[in-house]
Amino acid sequence: MAPPIVSIRDLSKLYRQGDINVTALNAVSLDIELGEFIVLMGPSGSGKSTLLHIIAGIDRPTHGSCRVQDTDVARLNESQLADWRNRNVGFVFQSFNLIPVLTAFENVELPLLLTGLKASRRRQQVTTALHLVGLIDRQHHLPRQLSGGQEQRVAIARALVTDPPLIVADEPTGNLDAKSATDVLEILRSLSQQAGKTVIMVTHDPKAAAYGTRQLHLEKGEIVA
Amino acid sequence: MTLGGFILKNALRNKRRALLSVLSVGVSLFLFITLQVALRELTLPPEDLGSSLRIIVRNKVSLASPLPARQLQVIEKIPGIAAVTPFTFFGGLYKGDEKFTSFAQFAVDPARVKDVIVDAKMDPAEYAAWVADRTLCIVGLDTARRYNLKRGDRMQFTGTFYPCDLDLRIAGFYHGTADDRTVFFHHRYLDEASGNPGTVGCWWALASSAEEAALVTARINEAFANSSAEVRAETERAFQLGFISMWANIKVLIGSICTVVVFTLLLVTVSTMSMAIRERFRELAVLKALGFRRRELLGFILAESFGLSMLGAILGAGGAWLLYRNLDIQKLANGVFLAFEVTPRMLGMAFAIAALLGILSAIAPALSVARTSVVEGLRTLD
Repeated sequence: MAPPIVSIRDLSKLYRQGDINVTALNAVSLDIELGEFIVLMGPSGSGKSTLLHIIAGIDRPTHGSCRVQDTDVARLNESQLADWRNRNVGFVFQSFNLIPVLTAFENVELPLLLTGLKASRRRQQVTTALHLVGLIDRQHHLPRQLSGGQEQRVAIARALVTDPPLIVADEPTGNLDAKSATDVLEILRSLSQQAGKTVIMVTHDPKAAAYGTRQLHLEKGEIVA
Repeated sequence: MTLGGFILKNALRNKRRALLSVLSVGVSLFLFITLQVALRELTLPPEDLGSSLRIIVRNKVSLASPLPARQLQVIEKIPGIAAVTPFTFFGGLYKGDEKFTSFAQFAVDPARVKDVIVDAKMDPAEYAAWVADRTLCIVGLDTARRYNLKRGDRMQFTGTFYPCDLDLRIAGFYHGTADDRTVFFHHRYLDEASGNPGTVGCWWALASSAEEAALVTARINEAFANSSAEVRAETERAFQLGFISMWANIKVLIGSICTVVVFTLLLVTVSTMSMAIRERFRELAVLKALGFRRRELLGFILAESFGLSMLGAILGAGGAWLLYRNLDIQKLANGVFLAFEVTPRMLGMAFAIAALLGILSAIAPALSVARTSVVEGLRTLD
């Protein structure tokens, strides 16, 4: 059996808010297999976004280990972590977070500027990613010229373009209408099922959660189901 | 898309703010250059060879106190003196100038002055005509051009220091000196018009060599020591530097204004850059999440700030250089300024200030971005 792509052991995260210590995650252990579509659910403050951020290497645990493939993310320094994120993680945010002065094509190309690829190769990868999300005909549009659903699909293309093994999505359908949300979820599911990507999604929406292959419920920093 | 293109798009995303930032740097540096040029013009002593050979001999008590005309016989016999002429400032108002005439008028001995102002070039026939007729004068080419004067024209001056007026005709023109604005006329004419007082304002002498100049000044001072009219002799350059020392407060004032301009500019630029970066905090957090490192983000901010500042410098300092190069500043400043030249040193200073501004104004927002984690940055969007 192949080793898990994500292996979390005894992971805790404490925040300090004024004089109070807040436990965001409490001794969480978890394995995620390659190609899984994991859905993290739970009430606000349950620690699901914190868990996602630690797996994605944009936050650090207070205690425990988080190995993604063979890398203990918590042990990397800032620069190594940035490089690791560029190669291994694709981000999809609730509010899309596209750069408003760049076209859809340029937004998708952005992570590739760090890879040292030639312009022709970058163009090829961006075109492929935009084809995958069905927006090649909107490549020269600025974000403000796109609908919310289209913006989120561009964001997915940006997450895919470096061909990372892991896609993390933080409430990707939170700002979308039902039709657009379905489109986005279908894309994420196909990435998991057909492209073999591991997708980890945070959501409050049970309909969205139904697209996942496994649902994890968090409460007070612990996985309860 | 290249990283350069990305930086450019970011810098120009708010075009009005970018334009105003560039203009604030540009206008301030234009003002800085203008003040520097004015300061240089006001304080620059002549540096030609003639000015180190020529000696001004004035009354030791004060520049305003006259010297006896009989001193000429003594001075011309002093070893190392090649030539000497009386040299009296008339300070009249030229017809048409109500309060201020920007060119000087000096009474001299025409037969002697040619050997003192060795760098002056004039037509021999015009010179001969001037020497022959005490009512004639010669005029510097800059003044002639400014007032559109021709040979034979009358020049009338109303006395301000002297209780007499001058009514001169132009014998010709000269050029080639450090200041081609002065009008020279016969001392004999001034003597007659002012009742033959037997005095001169100063003596203007030429040392036979630069090495001799220092010795000659000492000899002149010594020759009249303990006399009823002690003198102070100094080279023309030293005389000019003495004048310049009187401008000390102006130098401090202009220096202070320049400092205030640069400091204000720094505050404006820092504020603008901070605002621009604060608005993009979430985007910078997203860039970090995508894999951009701190140093790359610092590079973006620095490049943007530096680029806007340098564009301002090109506009302000380059604009000043172009403007003052093509402007008839003499006419515009009523003859107070001669060349108004923007020197390479001034341009260098302006660009160095712009570069420093670009760097300093990027530091605060760059540090703020560097200190903020991705999660904190992303939280600013929700």
